[in-house]
Amino acid sequence: MFSTGSKYFFGITFLGAIAFAIYMLLIGESAIGGTALFGLVGATGLLTGLVLFTRDGSQGEEGIAASTAAPTSSIWPLIAAVGATLLLVGTITSSVVTLLGVVLLLAALVEWSVLSWSERASSDSSYNASLRKRLLNPIEFPVLAAVGLGVVILSFSRITLAVNKSVGAIAFIVLGSLVLAAGVLFSVRPNLRRGLVTGICVLGAVGIVAAGIASAGAGVREELVLAKEEGHYMHQECGAEKSEHFDKLPLEGVSATSSVDTHIDLIDGKLVASVQGIAGNQETITVPRSNPTNIVFRNKSEGEYRLVASLGSKMLTDGVKEDVVQCTQLIPQGSEQLLTLNIPKPAEAGKPFTLTVPGLAGQSIEVIVP
Amino acid sequence: MRRRVVGAVSGIAGAMFLAGCATNAPQDTWQPKGPNAQIIDDLQKPVFAVAGIIGVIVTVAVLVAVFKFRDKGQPIPHQSHGNPALEITLTIIPALILTVVGVFTFRTVFDLAKTSDTEMIINVTGQQWWWEYDYPVQSEYGITQPIITSGQLVIPAGTKVLLRQTSRDVIHSYWIPALNGKRDAVPGRVHLNRIEADKPGIYAGQCTEFCGLSHANMRMEAVALSKADFAKWVANQLKPYTPPAENTLAKEGETVFMNQCVRCHQVNGMKRADGTPVIAAPDENIVSGAAPNLSHLMSRNTFAGATFDLLNKSCREDVWTADSESFGAKYLSGVSEDCLNQKDLRGWLRNAPAMKPMYANPALLTSTGGKYRGMPNLGLTEADIEKLVAYLLTLK
Repeated sequence: MFSTGSKYFFGITFLGAIAFAIYMLLIGESAIGGTALFGLVGATGLLTGLVLFTRDGSQGEEGIAASTAAPTSSIWPLIAAVGATLLLVGTITSSVVTLLGVVLLLAALVEWSVLSWSERASSDSSYNASLRKRLLNPIEFPVLAAVGLGVVILSFSRITLAVNKSVGAIAFIVLGSLVLAAGVLFSVRPNLRRGLVTGICVLGAVGIVAAGIASAGAGVREELVLAKEEGHYMHQECGAEKSEHFDKLPLEGVSATSSVDTHIDLIDGKLVASVQGIAGNQETITVPRSNPTNIVFRNKSEGEYRLVASLGSKMLTDGVKEDVVQCTQLIPQGSEQLLTLNIPKPAEAGKPFTLTVPGLAGQSIEVIVP
Repeated sequence: MRRRVVGAVSGIAGAMFLAGCATNAPQDTWQPKGPNAQIIDDLQKPVFAVAGIIGVIVTVAVLVAVFKFRDKGQPIPHQSHGNPALEITLTIIPALILTVVGVFTFRTVFDLAKTSDTEMIINVTGQQWWWEYDYPVQSEYGITQPIITSGQLVIPAGTKVLLRQTSRDVIHSYWIPALNGKRDAVPGRVHLNRIEADKPGIYAGQCTEFCGLSHANMRMEAVALSKADFAKWVANQLKPYTPPAENTLAKEGETVFMNQCVRCHQVNGMKRADGTPVIAAPDENIVSGAAPNLSHLMSRNTFAGATFDLLNKSCREDVWTADSESFGAKYLSGVSEDCLNQKDLRGWLRNAPAMKPMYANPALLTSTGGKYRGMPNLGLTEADIEKLVAYLLTLK
């Protein structure tokens, strides 16, 4: 039943499984050791199965395929090995590594299987190669194109994050114009040499990728770093600003800003609220308790202002209370900032929650929490 | 054997077909009771008819092909490839049908999304497994302070009501078939849903987005009242809290309530002996951060997310089957001691998770940081339950 080779691998698998069980029972806290032993058991178990399946590589007459030619050299076994390694390493490092391992393993599995099958389809190697192409090229080309495009886009995004805002916009315009010009050239001169077209495309792509790598090495521009450190995208602090850099539009919280419940506008020194679904300006807004509610403050008056949400007080320790206050960034005219309110309890009688703008007397929006 | 199988299948199919003819199905999508549901009905009936006719034609054609041309040993007929005229015709006809359906569908979608003529606003918040309704201040309806309730959505009949829907935990979906189509309630977002009821009455609904263990028990009821009756309902909801009289069972129940229930449930206006207001803290005990506000509980007909009736069977029937004229008065009479569904209410107080599946076992709450989903078993004694029932009956 067991072939000679399979006994060897089966033995390692069996001993590995026992070692794994003992390890998990006695030392089970460390994921690294457990993963290593489990990996060993999995790998040798797979080899046991393979060796058993192929009966140590001996073939009967019925096993002879249409082609008896030796298989061509292939990179896929190597990629499969790398994928399996990344899969194991990923379980103890990062899920991204695991994902990469899974992708490589799947790609290798498909490519290697089809390659192996096509090489045994007939005794004509060119026909076999065409068979493989016919099956896999419709998958390979779009995937490779998507990956290539993704690398170029990622590289370009690194460039725009590293350089000055204005330079980034100019770079985008220049690059777009170059792509357009190249496209026009290729279409009006269809007889251009293929090598020239390929050369232009490759040169452009390599240039962008190289610049992207250099930009990634240099890091993002300083104002973005500062803005992130201070949390200006969803500014909740009410003290002095640490820097003048902030996101003029609250673009960071894409999800939050796509679901704004209320806009609070400061128009010519007057504070007004407009609530989604309710026509006209409101003097009060109703916020459900214990539910994040997104409010965008838009400064449409001259000067710098911030919106302050005064949300009562909370008990720190017995008898010690602290005011609950949330603020937007101090923003100039034409800017807007997001504020997310999550209020767990209604206001105490006579102490309503309010939205106000420091420096503007008499301008207040009441926040009602039922 | 074969005859039995055919008989059984035919019987089941027949029963299912006949079930579609039920007239007392409260969640029947074919019985619109308001203009929004009527708009949907006006679209779905002709589309269903067209789809049905096409379905019959295709089925008959397939059956004819299968039986007429089945393999009887005849030679393989002439094989042809491609017939441009036929292919173009068979592409254009479905495209035209879909275009016509698409035009009317888009018109319906835009009609249903209209909010410019809104007459009343109600905020609707879903959580596992009940709905909260809060009415912002709207002085034209006498709502001078926010009203908060749950289980039953009370609206004035013949009024365009805009529901501003959201959720505190997972995605739910609000659906009262007689009044409008379904609309998701998504955490962090506000979705708008317009409803309007033609006549006073109760309209049943059901959460239609799987939301966890008790999704099937997450029901809702819209109660439409005449404008005069709605004004009475508003006035009652705005009545200040009246504590039970001293030395009564209900007063003892109030104490039990303060010791046990106010950890999550708010009763507006309730005060402690020292005069400080009682503020519930569901955010500290429940994953969603909210529990039903029990102010004026006995003005509702249901509890526990509309899963159970507060009215016993005969009183419930009396309200549900009332005609439009007498419905308002019957509904507004609320829940009296005689009409109270004692069995379910006491059962709920005794052991809530046994009546409605909830993740209420503290041993299984590690993923929620010890907070509950739904109401836990509080381990109340029968004496406490007796007192609580007496107290809850005072929350008119």
